[in-house]
Amino acid sequence: MDVLTQLAHGFSIALTPLNLGLAFAGAFLGTLIGALPGIGPVNGVAILIPIAYALKLPPESALILLAGVYYGAEYGGRISSILLNVPGDAGAVITTLDGYPMAQKGKAGEALALSALSSFIGGTLSVIGLTLFAPLLAQWAIRFGPAEYFALMVFAFTTLSSLAGKSPVKALASSVFGLMLATVGLDPGSGVPRFTFGQLKLYDGVDFLIVAIGLFAISEVLVLMEQTFLGRAAAIRVETTLVSLKTFLASLWSILRGAAIGFFIGVLPGAGASIASAIAYTTEKRLVDREGTFGQGDPRGVAAPEAANNAASGGAMVPMLTLGVPGSGTTAVLLGALMMFNVTPGPLIFQNRPEVVWGLIASMYIGNLMLLVLNLPLVGVFARILTIPRWFLVPAIAALSFVGVYAVNNSAFDLLFMTGIGVWGYLMRKFGFPLAPMILGLVLGRLMEVNLRRALAISGGDWTILFSSPIAKVLWVLAALSLLFPWLVGRLAKRR
Amino acid sequence: MKPDRVLGVLLMLLAVGYGLEALSLEAEYLADPLGPKAFPLLLATVLFGLSLLLVLFPGPGPWPGFLAWRQQALAVVSFVLYAYALAPLGFVLASGLEIGVLARILGTSWVKGLFAGFAFALVLHLLFVFGLGIPLPLGSWWPG
Repeated sequence: MDVLTQLAHGFSIALTPLNLGLAFAGAFLGTLIGALPGIGPVNGVAILIPIAYALKLPPESALILLAGVYYGAEYGGRISSILLNVPGDAGAVITTLDGYPMAQKGKAGEALALSALSSFIGGTLSVIGLTLFAPLLAQWAIRFGPAEYFALMVFAFTTLSSLAGKSPVKALASSVFGLMLATVGLDPGSGVPRFTFGQLKLYDGVDFLIVAIGLFAISEVLVLMEQTFLGRAAAIRVETTLVSLKTFLASLWSILRGAAIGFFIGVLPGAGASIASAIAYTTEKRLVDREGTFGQGDPRGVAAPEAANNAASGGAMVPMLTLGVPGSGTTAVLLGALMMFNVTPGPLIFQNRPEVVWGLIASMYIGNLMLLVLNLPLVGVFARILTIPRWFLVPAIAALSFVGVYAVNNSAFDLLFMTGIGVWGYLMRKFGFPLAPMILGLVLGRLMEVNLRRALAISGGDWTILFSSPIAKVLWVLAALSLLFPWLVGRLAKRR
Repeated sequence: MKPDRVLGVLLMLLAVGYGLEALSLEAEYLADPLGPKAFPLLLATVLFGLSLLLVLFPGPGPWPGFLAWRQQALAVVSFVLYAYALAPLGFVLASGLEIGVLARILGTSWVKGLFAGFAFALVLHLLFVFGLGIPLPLGSWWPG
């Protein structure tokens, strides 16, 4: 009952005209950003943060906008997957497997309608999961002390690193880059300037926003410059977006299973939309693919991964909000944005800032409904956006990045710093270092150090306090297992 | 030479440099048993260990190709020039030129690129200044 009262309070916040408008703007921009190959949710959210900040929005309104972009992008990604066989973002890669064959058979409209419905069901079920599950997890996590927090963050880094890239060593190094960058500035414990090289500008630490936009958006611009092919939907027209009730009902169980898989994978740190959709697809293939139609345009092969990737984005909000420990690049960027607005997520957020969490959760119900409406009749509009030529798209992303960063401090130095980080991010990508762990490191660095120092202050310098409580022990074991996981999978695969 | 070996050595240097800088940190009073240098030293140690792993067990990967390095270098130079030009030239002029240059680098014609660039820059300027109320520089040449 308590949850319902709180949720009603959340709706009273989410239904104000400003917040409704921002939810709509987020949903619309998210679909757009998801639909365009090349810019995914993380770039979109990063580019919009300075705008939300410069507008001096209240934190819950900013979060409603930015989260709308995040889950909206999972709706948009499928459009180019189905029409062009080019995934709009990482979560929509699997959707190409059956979505594009459906389009080739002349069923593009049906695939788009079914995937929009699946996205809606997956998204909404995961918001229900978030509503029920997040307060419980927060209550449980209130008992966490600094040692448990430190172990939890180590766990977040190891799972993200073992899943994020091909090489866990490089992914962990990427986390360390972020943590190192977070140590720049005045030491929170003693006030000593660290790694500032005498630059007063660096005393407050490096600006999260500049790093996020440089790392993701500017490096993306450089990557897009060297890709010779970018799909264009010049000839594709989508006339009707309708799906028959029969096809929908035949896919319903796949959708529900996909949503459940997506939510739980989303909650896990490190595993996001792309892994969720892949697992949902292989599960369906094993369970229901009796005639071998998967991969040749089976509607269930579109429905399951789309339900899963949308559910994953809702699930990923759970650890970000309740523990303050995000599990993916995009939720790390969202967390960084919240910190800029002086909101610290964590177990206490349900008591201290209920308007932020419940306003956000309520807006996600509304946003998913808006997305369904946007994506059924207006899908033709978004399909036409895919025809934007690359020579305009790439400079436009750059210009948006520049204007956003400049709007915050009016500083040319910030633009140069962002360019430098962009080149660094581009080189990281070229040499196989994933970017998400670095941004997670930057966001969590201070918190990790503060918790470590608090734990050792409690124990008087005795390091064994980090492993003393049962919760901490479990987290350390899980962290070790997650590092061994890719190696174990590799061994098993070889044996077969 | 495998790329991972070279990267490993470079990261090792980074870890050592960062670690040495951390060692030189001294706090006047200690509020906690660890002080300002322990966490950075921990990070330097972890990075050193990881770079050692890269050197000892490099991945098979060949050197990545940098096929578009000329275009990318030009783009980066234009970003730097843009950062310096933004305040004196103003947002619309600087951004229109920047988009035009990038579009040219991406292979379209000057006329098309600059036209699209100025149109987009003008729309962005109006959107930011009048739609969102976020001020952008007009440029020192602008009267008044």
